[in-house]
Amino acid sequence: MASTQSPQHQFAMVFDLNKCLGCQTCTVACKTQWTRGTGMEAMWWNIVNTMPGRGTPRDAFELGGGYRDGEPVPGRLPGRADWGEAWDFDYDEAFSPSSESSYLRPREHDGSAPRWGPNWDEDVGGGTYPNSYFFYLPLLCMNCTKPACLEACPRDSIYRREEDGIILVDEERCHGYRFCLEACPYKRIYFNEQRAIAQKCISCYPRLEAGVAPACVRQCPGRVRHVGHLDDPDSHIHKLVKKWKVALPLRPDFEVEPNVFYIPPTMPTAFDENGEFDEEASRIPLKDLRKWFGPGVDHALATIEAEREKVAGGGQSELMDLLISRNWQELLGPYTEDPGELPTPRRQ
Amino acid sequence: MTSSVEAGVVGARRVRARGEALLDPGSGEWSRAQEVAIPLVPTPLDRQPSAYVQVAWADRPRGDIREVGVAALVNAGTLAVRLAWSAARPNRFISDVNVHPDACAVLFPANGSGFEYDSMGSPSRPVNGWHWRAGTEEPFAITATGIGTVARATEHDVKAAARWSDGVWQVVLARALAAEGVPLSHDMTVPVAFAIWSGAAGERAGLKSYSPRPHELRID
Repeated sequence: MASTQSPQHQFAMVFDLNKCLGCQTCTVACKTQWTRGTGMEAMWWNIVNTMPGRGTPRDAFELGGGYRDGEPVPGRLPGRADWGEAWDFDYDEAFSPSSESSYLRPREHDGSAPRWGPNWDEDVGGGTYPNSYFFYLPLLCMNCTKPACLEACPRDSIYRREEDGIILVDEERCHGYRFCLEACPYKRIYFNEQRAIAQKCISCYPRLEAGVAPACVRQCPGRVRHVGHLDDPDSHIHKLVKKWKVALPLRPDFEVEPNVFYIPPTMPTAFDENGEFDEEASRIPLKDLRKWFGPGVDHALATIEAEREKVAGGGQSELMDLLISRNWQELLGPYTEDPGELPTPRRQ
Repeated sequence: MTSSVEAGVVGARRVRARGEALLDPGSGEWSRAQEVAIPLVPTPLDRQPSAYVQVAWADRPRGDIREVGVAALVNAGTLAVRLAWSAARPNRFISDVNVHPDACAVLFPANGSGFEYDSMGSPSRPVNGWHWRAGTEEPFAITATGIGTVARATEHDVKAAARWSDGVWQVVLARALAAEGVPLSHDMTVPVAFAIWSGAAGERAGLKSYSPRPHELRID
């Protein structure tokens, strides 16, 4: 319903998929920071999925939403069985085992064994041995330039911050109708059943306002995550997205113009039938990479490969320096404040 | 006043019952009220204030509930309106992420006249309503000045009680005559409209059945 004005700056992220360990430290950093409240038990505003995989919620990218040729695409609302529940664990049995086969057993609320959950198909991947493959895909709110969630809400409960383009849900206005969940093609909005409101990643905006990088970014041990303003020509973000064109939107065919970008995964070359490297073949099928990251993926992979070769040959590469980020604070863009040095905020 | 409007008039008969009895949908007091069948229609799709909703619901049936039975009683200080409708598969609460609760609402012109019920009011002619949502203990007292502008009052005097049996919801919404909101008193007539949301049909927000013309509520 609401129109989206161009913000003064555009907050954006770049995730280097060649460095993501799938350790979920980002996921837990977010969980610890934001989703411990009432009705948020099963929420993972940030999640790392194995690709190819069915995602979180199950078949996340197949549920509709976004746009096609500018028209909204109807979406399906996944249920709890698709999202996965917050499991209970039988700690008594684990700490005082009744048999040698006892272990810390997860249970759903009805006592049954879990049948699905976030990143359920971890490390399953695709391909056939010896050309099997997988990579990790961190996901959170993409702060889209054309946010389908915002445009789907009949109550103007979702808005785009004028100062940095971050998309937020006004919990006071939200009446829990869940059109936003249907419309988000990445399925990165959760529903709080107890409070009957939609909730999602807030890009750690209270931290940003104090000059502190988002929790998922600051705690990433793999130095995967770059943050900054897309419109700042000196930022890593701008250089990786606009200058080098190696950071790409996920599923650009969703037409929502996300502001989270990914360095696509490079992989070892494929094996041929004799077990020799086939220099011409990609272990991850290029058609899949093009589907996930758009037509720019060929250029991006070729550029990364060429710059790697340059450095391997003793040369210098701005791109490799950006991706390696030897000084980890360079990843943080303008958000370099150490939260440990700031006064502890008062809990409300 | 046309005869068709007359046929849709809801009379709130005055009784001596206590407020608790009025609020009980199964109370014998309700046998003294005259239930009026009010036809309902789906809200027009082109009025949905979201391009997404218009596209997503273009080929989906809307307005699942096509009739609501309305009765009303008033005692010395409280008006109670009972809505009854068939719901073979009730959604009694939000039992899952993809489950929408059944709901109903009674709508009045906030100032007692000049009822722009079709557009959920306007800035100069706001509407005031009582909104019950299954699984929520307290009903909402709402005001609106147009489609998509519903605001819930943080404090109000509207009460609700509901029961579902034999495939029928019965929901009583009640308010003290003297309380804040649409002016209500004995011996007055106030325009009123009704809406029902079928959770099983995925209805929520502007997707609902509503009475396509204003009715009258005559308070004894």
